[in-house]
Amino acid sequence: MSATNSIIDLLKKNDEKTIRTFYNDHKNKFVLFAKRYNINEFDSIDVYQDAFIALIENVKRGKTDDLKSSLSTYLFGIGKFMIFQKFKKNGQLHIADDVASIEIEEDLYSEDDVDLQVRLLQNGLDKLGEQCKKVLQLFYYEEKKLDEIQEQLGYTSKDVLKSQKSRCLKQLKELIKA
Amino acid sequence: MEKEELISLYFEGKLSEAQEITFQQLMETDADFAEEVRYQENVKKAITLNERKQLKATLQSFETEKKTTGSFTKWLAAASIALVMISTYWYFNQTPDHNSLYAAYYQAYPNVIAPTVRSETKNDLQSQAFYAYDNGDYKKSAALFSEIHASQNEEYAVFYAALSLMEDNKHEEAIKLFDSFKSNKESRFSIYAEWYEALCYLKLNNKPAAIKLLKQIANEKNPQQETAQRLLKELN
Repeated sequence: MSATNSIIDLLKKNDEKTIRTFYNDHKNKFVLFAKRYNINEFDSIDVYQDAFIALIENVKRGKTDDLKSSLSTYLFGIGKFMIFQKFKKNGQLHIADDVASIEIEEDLYSEDDVDLQVRLLQNGLDKLGEQCKKVLQLFYYEEKKLDEIQEQLGYTSKDVLKSQKSRCLKQLKELIKA
Repeated sequence: MEKEELISLYFEGKLSEAQEITFQQLMETDADFAEEVRYQENVKKAITLNERKQLKATLQSFETEKKTTGSFTKWLAAASIALVMISTYWYFNQTPDHNSLYAAYYQAYPNVIAPTVRSETKNDLQSQAFYAYDNGDYKKSAALFSEIHASQNEEYAVFYAALSLMEDNKHEEAIKLFDSFKSNKESRFSIYAEWYEALCYLKLNNKPAAIKLLKQIANEKNPQQETAQRLLKELN
């Protein structure tokens, strides 16, 4: 197993030490990089954290499993892209840099654009039982297939898992009605 | 095929072409179906936002941990350097050298107002100012504190603006700001304002002005009294 692969596996498992090390190892380089675009440390750390979060998300969704580049190159790609987006929005940026070297999907989950049901669900999720949280987290956040979840959580059949999932969804719906 | 199954396959990204067509048709014709899809989209969104928030908090905690240990170590280092310099001074130096005295006695005043804990809600002027201050970006913190003072008239802002100027080697400007505490003896900063102002004068080689202030501090009961007495002795 290559070094990148084992890091990916550890990140998938939420291994805090790996997260911390990987986070710290690339931060200064990113802050330095961002300085070239006159971004102060405060903002660049903020962007770096968001890029890091996007990286973890993609790792968990298995999107980095067949990565050709190193994970740090990938992280920088996301970060550059985010800087580009952020300053394009403000109309402050004039770079024709190599930003587009990594393809990043448009993020549909902006904090600014959230309706009431989502807010209620965000709170409701905390009140769900552990098993429900796990099933929904794997299915919707990590985008795992039902077969993978069945194996990971040790369900005897896919049908048991399916009915568990719909029970959880119903329960959650009840929670936000109250 | 059951509708529930269809929705599940949609989220798994496993709809066949034929199923995709059925799915789209139901979305347009079956209000309950469309509502259920929207609900599950929102569940996905809510979980994603929660996960991100949690991870963001973890990453931010990495930053604050470092900050606290960082400034504590800096504090310790400053204290031990001060000790070394004072003892070196005692042993080897007969004539007071204002610059080394300044270095021996000067310690950055800590951020006691807004410990740098960054969260979404605290991304305001005050947090930015202290963030810059804690990170040693004194030009920026001086500007930000002045801005706070101008708009909100907060006395802590004047004090930290002066400290930032001092760190940035603008001692004359710092003195002007410290002076503003003279009319406000009640302020919790006033004694420290006098102390740092004295150090500014020392740095500028204005010994009489420094001594005058130090005597004021040394003659009344306050946290800086002993230190001021010690520095006075060395200056005489």
